[in-house]
Amino acid sequence: MSEAYFPVDPGLGPEENFLSLDDILMSQEKLPGRAESALPRLAFALGQGAGTGDSIPEGSKLEIPLWLAKGLHDSKRRIISVELPKIYKEAWRTVFSADANVVDLHKMGPYYYGFGSQLLNFDNPENPEIAQTILQTFISRFRRIMDSSQNAYNEDTSALVARLDELERALFRAGQKGLNDFQCWEKGQASQITASSLVQNYGKRKFTDMDG
Amino acid sequence: MAGERAVELVRELHRAAGGSLPPFRAEGLRQALEEMRALYERNQADVSEAKSGRTDLIFLIRFRHCCLLRNQRCVLAYLYDRLLRIRALRWEYGSVLPSTIQFHMAAEEVEWFNRYKKSLATYMRSVGGEEGLDLTQDIKPPKSLYIEVRCLRDYGEFEIDDGTTILLKKNSQHFLPRWKCEQLIRQGVLEHILS
Amino acid sequence: MPYSRLQFVFQGDLGPFNPGLPVEVPVWLAINLKQRQKCRLIPPEWMDVEKLEEIRDRERKEDTFTPMPSPYYMELTKLLLNYASDNIPKADEIRTLVKDTWDTRIAKLRLSADSFVRQQEAHAKLDNLTLMEINTTGTFLTQALDHMYKLRTNLQPGESAHSQDF
Repeated sequence: MSEAYFPVDPGLGPEENFLSLDDILMSQEKLPGRAESALPRLAFALGQGAGTGDSIPEGSKLEIPLWLAKGLHDSKRRIISVELPKIYKEAWRTVFSADANVVDLHKMGPYYYGFGSQLLNFDNPENPEIAQTILQTFISRFRRIMDSSQNAYNEDTSALVARLDELERALFRAGQKGLNDFQCWEKGQASQITASSLVQNYGKRKFTDMDG
Repeated sequence: MAGERAVELVRELHRAAGGSLPPFRAEGLRQALEEMRALYERNQADVSEAKSGRTDLIFLIRFRHCCLLRNQRCVLAYLYDRLLRIRALRWEYGSVLPSTIQFHMAAEEVEWFNRYKKSLATYMRSVGGEEGLDLTQDIKPPKSLYIEVRCLRDYGEFEIDDGTTILLKKNSQHFLPRWKCEQLIRQGVLEHILS
Repeated sequence: MPYSRLQFVFQGDLGPFNPGLPVEVPVWLAINLKQRQKCRLIPPEWMDVEKLEEIRDRERKEDTFTPMPSPYYMELTKLLLNYASDNIPKADEIRTLVKDTWDTRIAKLRLSADSFVRQQEAHAKLDNLTLMEINTTGTFLTQALDHMYKLRTNLQPGESAHSQDF
């Protein structure tokens, strides 16, 4: 990891972070919706027809990215209504409350917490339950993330993070950094100057090009 | 779907892990800006029609406006995150970037880097007394003034404190002033050997 | 012993250095002198097998963190055992005892972090923790608590109802 590059953190919660790459990719995730009235000339733009002039008839099912759903959302005049992705619906909420640790949040997410928090913008009657489940899921999965990130020293961690969502993965990396820094100190390597990861990434071949 | 090109820029940058700098996508950026211009123009035309009674167009206008703002956000975030990476290069690599990295930068980014470099240099001259203070030095607390290093590739002649020059040849080992070689270690020319 | 120049540098704050007589100096100087074989280090009182066994056992028995003999017990153990193990009786046993104590404390720290999160507490008292202990887990913990705080604000709708449009 670079020691001087600090990307913009995702917002998490009700507000996105405008310049966060993570939040941009999170809000690119799609959610199911329905046209509450006919949408003239929008079929092509929403990937639902061939001609630019085609309309989307009232009642059509849509799949739209979160950013668009947020932009078109109007609590007074509902033109597009959005539904909950299944992982936030009651059936899945029951699974989470039984044992949140068994869920593969990467496959189901991978922005489970960020996307879920954003769904609360749509005045769904189930909002309190969704918010509660997201929080409880984080709390129940916390211990495992902490233990695995602070125990896995010098080993392949891909299996440990495979089922974590993006937020949890970042947290896992923070735990690993704490552990690695400590081990580094214990071995007396804390004062060793090392090559910057920004440089290592460019590989050897390119350096020879540069010299030539 | 609108916004695809812009989000592709973001996606690619996000994939480049650890703060490394992928090539600047001038063409992708141009297409995203072109798409924004087209959205804007079509909206301009439809707005005047909507004003003269075509209220059914309002939703379409709003849709295009969302796409416009989305593109804007992606482009700004793309440019901004690249600047964060370029700034990190100044701290981790030094003030002269190798051509391989410069090759990945837009002309404006090179210009920005040069200005950042100057501004940082001005600041560092102003702190720490007469001679200023190099803040990029001793990122990790030093244990001794001299350190043992091994040369990882042929670098050529290198002048040390007392004015003498030594030849940095691949696999050669040297005992050098720490402050003189910190940057070369960060650049991957030398390797710091712990006794 | 030719220490007069050293004394000059330190403006008489340290010393006098007389052969055979113990004198108190900062750790960095002690190690420097030791490395040049100019002195013998006298380990701190607590760096003793019996005392450390007591400390370890108490740490295992109590639920809360027990006070450590020094806020830098890890750092001192490492430095002294690295540079002056020949001056410390039963150095290997001491190394193990300190490591055992550390492990117990870290396990405790995790346990209390987990119950802190589970009960959604707002503040915790972490008396007797050393900086080294806080440092290894600090970033992780504060990041996790920050996430939890934001997820909790989700529970209060309407407070920031103005969502950005893009």
